[in-house]
Amino acid sequence: MLLAPAAVQALQVAVVLLLSPVLSGAIARGEARLQGRRGPRVLQPYYDIIKLFGKETLAPEGASWFFLAAPVVAFTSFLMVPLLIPVLTNFPLPLGYMGDILGGGLILALGGFSVALAAADTRSPYAQLGSSRATTFGALIEPSVLFVVFAVALITTTDLPYAMAGVDRSSLAQAIRPAHLFAAVAFFLVVLSDTGRIPVETHTSTLELGMIDEARTFEHSGPALALLKWGSAVKQMVLYVILADVFAAPWGLAGSRQLGPVLLAVPILLGKALGVGAIFAVVDNSFSKLRLYKITEFMTGAFALSAVAVLVLYLGGG
Amino acid sequence: MLRYLVAAVPTPPSTFAGVTEALAVLVLLLVFVMLREALLRSQVRLYALQSLAVSALAGVLAASQHAAELYVLAGLSFVLKVVVVPAVVLHLLGEAEVDLAGSHRFGVATMVLVGVVASVFGFLAIGDVHLNPAGPGGLPVPALSAATATVLVSFVLVMFRADVVSQVVGFFSMENGVSVASLVLAARMPLILEVSFLFDLLVAALAFGVIMRAHHRRAASLSTETLDQLRG
Amino acid sequence: MSTVLLAIMVVPLAGAITAWLLPSRAGAVATVASGTATFGLCLALVPAVAADGGTSAVAALGGWLRADSLSMVFLIATAFLYALTAVFAVGYVAADPSATRLYSRRLYAGLNLFAWAMAMAPVVNNLGLLWVAIEVTTVVSALLVAMEGTDAAIEAAWKYILLASLGLGLSLLATAVIYHAGSYSLGQSYDLSYSQLLAASSRFPAGTVRLAYLLAVLGFGTKVGLFPVHTWLPDAHSEAPTPVSALLSGSLLATSFYAILRYYQVTQRVGAGSFARDVLAGFGVATLLLGALYLASQRDLKRLLAYSSIEHMGIIAIGVSFASPLAIAGALLHVLAHAAAKGTSFFGAGSVVRKLRTKDLERARGAAGLLPWSGPMLVAGMLGLSGMPPFGTFRSELSIVAGGLSGGPQANTAEEAIAAVLVVLATAGFLGLSWHLTRAVLSPGPTSEGERGEASKMIVVAMALGLAGLVVLGAHPPAQLSQLFQGAAGELGVRR
Repeated sequence: MLLAPAAVQALQVAVVLLLSPVLSGAIARGEARLQGRRGPRVLQPYYDIIKLFGKETLAPEGASWFFLAAPVVAFTSFLMVPLLIPVLTNFPLPLGYMGDILGGGLILALGGFSVALAAADTRSPYAQLGSSRATTFGALIEPSVLFVVFAVALITTTDLPYAMAGVDRSSLAQAIRPAHLFAAVAFFLVVLSDTGRIPVETHTSTLELGMIDEARTFEHSGPALALLKWGSAVKQMVLYVILADVFAAPWGLAGSRQLGPVLLAVPILLGKALGVGAIFAVVDNSFSKLRLYKITEFMTGAFALSAVAVLVLYLGGG
Repeated sequence: MLRYLVAAVPTPPSTFAGVTEALAVLVLLLVFVMLREALLRSQVRLYALQSLAVSALAGVLAASQHAAELYVLAGLSFVLKVVVVPAVVLHLLGEAEVDLAGSHRFGVATMVLVGVVASVFGFLAIGDVHLNPAGPGGLPVPALSAATATVLVSFVLVMFRADVVSQVVGFFSMENGVSVASLVLAARMPLILEVSFLFDLLVAALAFGVIMRAHHRRAASLSTETLDQLRG
Repeated sequence: MSTVLLAIMVVPLAGAITAWLLPSRAGAVATVASGTATFGLCLALVPAVAADGGTSAVAALGGWLRADSLSMVFLIATAFLYALTAVFAVGYVAADPSATRLYSRRLYAGLNLFAWAMAMAPVVNNLGLLWVAIEVTTVVSALLVAMEGTDAAIEAAWKYILLASLGLGLSLLATAVIYHAGSYSLGQSYDLSYSQLLAASSRFPAGTVRLAYLLAVLGFGTKVGLFPVHTWLPDAHSEAPTPVSALLSGSLLATSFYAILRYYQVTQRVGAGSFARDVLAGFGVATLLLGALYLASQRDLKRLLAYSSIEHMGIIAIGVSFASPLAIAGALLHVLAHAAAKGTSFFGAGSVVRKLRTKDLERARGAAGLLPWSGPMLVAGMLGLSGMPPFGTFRSELSIVAGGLSGGPQANTAEEAIAAVLVVLATAGFLGLSWHLTRAVLSPGPTSEGERGEASKMIVVAMALGLAGLVVLGAHPPAQLSQLFQGAAGELGVRR
């Protein structure tokens, strides 16, 4: 049965929306298992979100309307990115031309920025701490992101994510060329920094000495907090999907709008995202968090890697 | 140079060229990691890992050319540079329990950025030297750019770190860069010359180790902060 | 004749092994014996090489060793200084109250090994083995520099071995690049022997050879002490034991320059001779300037002599960069004369240090009063370093300047300007040297320093022999020497 393009597009967004909490929960449980604990149940994030929707929203004194609007803005912008990237299909859907990979990055940044702005709005010290740190480190990782995008875009002579994935699929030589490999590793480091994983930040604790992302959401409560949590899970899944479907493993996507291949693409997508998540869980348990002032070393390391990827591409023949 | 900026490179390199380029760049990336590394044993282990990459490069070249002498060179380079030289250095420093945190003259991020600039310079400089692309019997020319960048970043390591172990490891990683370059340029050099180069490196490692130990015995530290009395 | 060449390879090594295994007295005898024997063997080799106007060569070991006129000049410099230093070392160690037996054994063994490596470098017939020989000299001399065991000695040894090894790494890259240049004509797998290389070098790609030459100048130039990679030199030469300093300054710098000259040969045959000369001239002038300027502000006697070595290396580099046979002959004569003069001066410095127990020029006064023989001979050595007649340095520097001014085949204003600069800077160097030296040696010192008398007779003998050699080179150099110079100039591409 042939699905309408709009239906496939809506299905992409729905899949990301509904499956991202599963991804979070699975990663948390996997990490706990690696540490020898039993860990929370895989569906725990759903229960958390549902619970939070039933609570009341409180806003600190002096916060403006933006404080309540920011979670909605962030959630919506995170959900717009699955329209642009190859989630289920390997051909672009109608709204897929709305933005290229830089546009997708811009929208993701918009979401993060609105949360940071709302945190600065609250006049609470922890929230402002988190907000300033997040903005600074976000700015520091930008050169690496740009260089990675340049490297991949120059390899594939396009910056549309669908086309990038297509070129990578075209031949094995294309997929294992050195510049591509180094760009993929650099992007892995970027995702690590953006989703707040070790060694940049401890994902699960609220240690104020090192909090970056968690501190921004300190003052939110109720449905707003639910949207923020869900939104960060969606952002995590989106980044994993970009890493898997554009850089590392662009196979298993549906080739047509037939119902069968499209539905088959859903568990394959979940499998790939869980695979990436497993790598992150292992990394989390293998290294320790960097001191806050040493995070710049990590950022420069990622930048050096992405710069070397571009150098190898242009001047290294590959 | 501008012509590089205009055209992208859509055609991927062959598998052989890709693997060798990846290994050569791995050698370069390990020098960047050395820039950060503070503990002396980790520095020496990084050097061992780097020498492993160089030996692997020699092995890949031997496999593609079916040259017996290159296998011998790869094996000898493995034994000497991955096993013997790190063991010698670590043994001679066995009595030094102090680690070297805090021997950076500038911050790590600054050093890495300077290293990136140096690598760019190295890559661009080799691009302007016209070598025959089908280098007689050697690795593809792009590995030479990575080797030159390795040499330059090793100089950065020697200049910007104020302890003897980092400086020695910087010298050794510069030798690794020169080895990769000679695999590109002079891969079929008579074996006797290559073997003498390797043994010479071993002798130099011994001398470095002896002087490092003497310094440690006198100054009770591995830092070069005290080595600044002779001026003018 | 090839047995003589082989013997030169074996004798110093035998001396080193003997000095290591036997007690220090036997070691001293062995060192002096092997030094004089090596020098004698070199002199025996000269007629064979100087025949046919210096174009013939002696080979041994199936072509692995080869002595042509260019190598002979440097070999004679090394061997002469080796013999003299052996004599000096015996006296120096005997006059040292604190020298242990282990120290003297190590010193003698190290001196022999060092001299062996330096003698090997000019006679190996292979560009790759040349690099190996120079690297061996670095390693051995770095260990010798650290021998005193003081903080300053270890600092000097560390700087030396680090900087010299980094530079030699660059020159290893130069070897690889030149191998690559040759592989287009000579096939993928050939050995880097000079005969093969020089015969085919006119067909090498010029750009690649230029790159190799530049890397070689930077790399080997670190060991020669060219600006800006000279920073290790004053420290190493002043903190080493004095016999080692004499060999370092007198022979090792020149031997490393020999390595540059071999690369110069290939570059000149490719057709990039003017590029090569410009590079040498640039480095030479900068080095000379640095040496001359720093001479004035030195407080340490041996450091003063080290900067003088830097100055003289600059003069030699400038001499080679003038494209006239007179200048090349002057530069090569300067190698020999500088070895003799520097050796004598270091021996005198060692005598002063032994007697007055200080290296500080401010505190060392009245050496002439206390040292009836070595004091005046030290003054003579310093005058030799400044290029005074009748010493050999006067003849060599005059030849260099005349070669620059006469212009060889075509007159060149840049060369004339450089020659004028050389004269000015050499004069500045003379002023610097003599200021310090006359104050230290000739001004009256406190009479309570000690009684008048030499610290050791052997030191006096060594100094006298060195001065004698210097005077011979200046007054009447042997005819065969000029044939050697002619042959060497021909090898460097400069014909009458």
